[in-house]
Amino acid sequence: MSDQVYTLRIQRNTRRDDGTMDTKWDEFQVKATPLTPVLNLLEDVKGNQDGSLTFRQSCRSAICGSCAMRIGGKTRLACKTQIGEVVDENNTVQITAQQNSPVIKDLAVDITKFFSKVHQIKPFLQEGSESAEEVDDTAFDQVNHVTQCIMCACCYSDCTMAEVSDEFVGPAALAKAFRFISDPREGKKSDRLKVLSNDHGIWSCARCTMCVAVCPKDVKPMEAIVKLRTRAMDAGNMDNYGAKHAQAFHGDITSSGSLNEALILNRTLGVVGALGEMGAALHLAKKGKIPSPFPHKIENLDEVQAIYNELEKNPLDVETKAENAVPE
Amino acid sequence: MYSHDLIIVGAGLAGMRAAVEAVKAGVNVAVISKVHPLRSHSCAAQGGINAAINPKDSWESHAYDTVKGSDFIGDEDAIELMCKEAGNAVLEMDRMGTPFSRLEDGLIAQRPFGAASFDRTCYAADRTGQVLLHTLWEQLVKAGVQVYEECQILKISEVDGQVAGVVAYDIKKGEVFGIQAKVTLLCTGGYGRVFLTSTNATASTGDGMALAYRAGATLADMEFVQFHPTGLRYSGILVTEGARGEGGYLINDEGDRFMTKYAPNKLELASRDVVARAEQTEILEGRGRDGAIFLDLRHLGAKKINERLPQVRQLARDLEGVDPVYTPIPVRPTAHYSMGGIRTDKYGATILPGLWAAGESACVSVHGANRLGGNSLLDTIVFGYIAGRELGDKLGGMDMPTLPESEVQGVKDQISELMDRPDKGVRPASIRERLGEAMNSYVSVFRHPDNIQKASDLIPTLRQDLTTMHLDDKSKVFNVDLLRALEMQNLVDLAETIIAGAMNRTESRGAHSRVDFPDRDDENWRKHTITKWDNDAQTTAFSYEAVRTVGKDAYKPAVRSY
Ligand SMILES: Cc1cc2nc3c(=O)[nH]c(=O)nc-3n(C[C@H](O)[C@H](O)[C@H](O)COP(=O)(O)OP(=O)(O)OC[C@H]3O[C@@H](n4cnc5c(N)ncnc54)[C@H](O)[C@@H]3O)c2cc1C
Ligand code: SF4
Ligand code: SF4
Ligand code: FES
Repeated sequence: MSDQVYTLRIQRNTRRDDGTMDTKWDEFQVKATPLTPVLNLLEDVKGNQDGSLTFRQSCRSAICGSCAMRIGGKTRLACKTQIGEVVDENNTVQITAQQNSPVIKDLAVDITKFFSKVHQIKPFLQEGSESAEEVDDTAFDQVNHVTQCIMCACCYSDCTMAEVSDEFVGPAALAKAFRFISDPREGKKSDRLKVLSNDHGIWSCARCTMCVAVCPKDVKPMEAIVKLRTRAMDAGNMDNYGAKHAQAFHGDITSSGSLNEALILNRTLGVVGALGEMGAALHLAKKGKIPSPFPHKIENLDEVQAIYNELEKNPLDVETKAENAVPE
Repeated sequence: MYSHDLIIVGAGLAGMRAAVEAVKAGVNVAVISKVHPLRSHSCAAQGGINAAINPKDSWESHAYDTVKGSDFIGDEDAIELMCKEAGNAVLEMDRMGTPFSRLEDGLIAQRPFGAASFDRTCYAADRTGQVLLHTLWEQLVKAGVQVYEECQILKISEVDGQVAGVVAYDIKKGEVFGIQAKVTLLCTGGYGRVFLTSTNATASTGDGMALAYRAGATLADMEFVQFHPTGLRYSGILVTEGARGEGGYLINDEGDRFMTKYAPNKLELASRDVVARAEQTEILEGRGRDGAIFLDLRHLGAKKINERLPQVRQLARDLEGVDPVYTPIPVRPTAHYSMGGIRTDKYGATILPGLWAAGESACVSVHGANRLGGNSLLDTIVFGYIAGRELGDKLGGMDMPTLPESEVQGVKDQISELMDRPDKGVRPASIRERLGEAMNSYVSVFRHPDNIQKASDLIPTLRQDLTTMHLDDKSKVFNVDLLRALEMQNLVDLAETIIAGAMNRTESRGAHSRVDFPDRDDENWRKHTITKWDNDAQTTAFSYEAVRTVGKDAYKPAVRSY
């Protein structure tokens, strides 16, 4: 394939001595074929045009999780993204740092916030009374899938809820939690489900599907979260607004065929809680970010009901099984 | 100035395995790594880890395969130790939480790998390294081990013949600081970046080897560089040997399955050096295309490819634009692994008191002149464990040395000098390109003395450029430009040892193939090349060391055929 000239429009960030950020845009022209990974082009710029351009990278093969950045309005791994896929009609693409983490310099962010969330869910197998003695060939079907996660934080960067709440544990950490809860060897599954049912855990997810859409390793964090919710409720963790909301929701659809929206927030949170939640809801609406599976205007409740019924019939569960790793 | 009983440099598999073990003994351990532990290059290992865990297999058979694979220059005591420990090492990883692929009865699944007489490579789909790395990180977090994240060591401090710790640079803050320790354990990985195209990460710059060498430790067998038969044509990114283990063929541009000619018995699964030479011969004799031959997986079918080799399919699509279900993947021999490294005894101690090494940065030596696929992950886990265990025992009785403040100041001065240079010299990237290009062209699969000489002649020019290169980035925080400039010094040092070792060794053994000396010469060359930095002469000094043998008849050098 023949070379073309592409323009990288890159956000340059420098922290001033007083802690504020100095931001400007630089444009660089590079020659490449449409198949060239964006990371190669950044390296080209760094090596031959401006050595001060700063970004993280290491493996070059989508497995170390270093190079997540916003490319063309979406968080992606620069090493896995071909330039031809992301440029506009002028062969230009805009590149900025990840969101939801403080920027250190140019495209490099401080990863401690993201990892503190992962630490929070106790990211290790625990001994306890609930570990299974034996594992069979299907035992890891669920585990295998979420262990594809490389902790790149693409999902966290584009997560609707992380944007409005610094406390939200976030998609990657919750997927990691699911990894342990679905491992037959884990000894403290119930404890985990209980903690995850608390504030800022599994019930804080807005189910916007952004994390599923941007994950470069097909981890589908939201599906893990949905499964965690089911398991948490099955395990009797009902004393939290999320579980109550789910029940209220379920009750409305099955009894009247539609949702009593005005009341549902009330039933879930109580009056004071509902008022508190308004801020977040408004913020979300302003950003235009209550995307699929719910349409922008929640007018067509029959559609919601149809989705709901569909999900009842076909729980998401089956989809997240890993297709790999199980030998014939 | 910080202080720990044990400072482990590197948070790949070797470093974290050592840390998890040492912490059990109650010593004060910390890990320092220039990338977050999960970004360490061990994550890229796809194929698997060898261990004789099937009752029909035996550690003796594994050891024999390894001795033979090493072309009879691996140290037999270390090889036996590794193969004996292998089963436990893998089962321990399983207990810690690694989700290995399973057989129906729940046993860990194993696949065939090159030059192995049994299907003994344990795996987790084609991302074994990643899940092992994540598991060890989980254990590190569980044990609460302190990690200096994104801090790069720039010096190993040697005072009166004893290593007193390291001087490091905090990438996020731009600060230079010292860590004094009773023992410094280097687990810094390989140096793939010496070559222009390599399967390695950009972080694989051999820092530990080069800094140990400058501090007075010895390096062994640096001329033995493994070229992996299936690096992707353009990027060098690896396609696992597991792809051939699952039944993939190698074909040339004429569609011939050429391994029938070179290794009629083992075919694509002959030892890596053998396959790499066969490919290179095909390419040189004009039966390749654009410098590549092809890995054909089409006959495996979409289902098997998706199940067993999902990552390979994705990489081929992303980086070469071909879908292996329908089209053969263009591949070529690519610099992959360094058999050489910091010389240690079978527990990991170097000749310098206070300095230990494990993993790819060390040369124990279990791989000799050619490493078997699946033996390197094993090497990291086993020798990481052994170093951690041994040091856990020994550290209590050792004294804390003093790391002089002047050592820290020395590194600060070095950085200021580099930052203050006028923008006249070349950029660091230009040095890397010229070095890498020369190593790729002149010191790779086949080595001709005239070519090796050309690479050798380039070194003084590059050393000159190192003294004048300039930085574009003069800022304090996250200055990758600065770090790459400092890494260049390491790459040039290491390249020099590889080049000189290759020139001296007038035989062909394992991965080292001299066109003017095509045969193995056991009488003169069944010995390790030992390299030491001669500070007075400002160059490399050579000596040789006998292979450590255990006197088994089975290990006697024989013709190596596959
Ligand atoms: C693509 C690929 C696939 C492979 N597949 C297999 C396989 O299937 N089976 C197998 O057995 N082997 C395989 N190998 C080889 C094996 O993965 C490596 O040899 C092994 O993982 C090396 O582990 P390590 O712990 O020694 O070093 P690494 O994992 O490379 O870790 C090095 C660590 O040192 C740190 N470090 C380096 N320099 C500094 C410094 N100056 N300051 C601070 N920290 C530093 C890094 O941050 C990192 O944490 C493969 C290798 C590659 C490249
Ligand atoms: S879930 Fe996906 S996007 Fe999120 S950290 Fe893991 S691999 Fe990255
Ligand atoms: S689905 Fe939930 S976790 Fe995923 S991005 Fe949306 S809010 Fe975040
Ligand atoms: S460089 Fe490792 S994920 Fe992109």
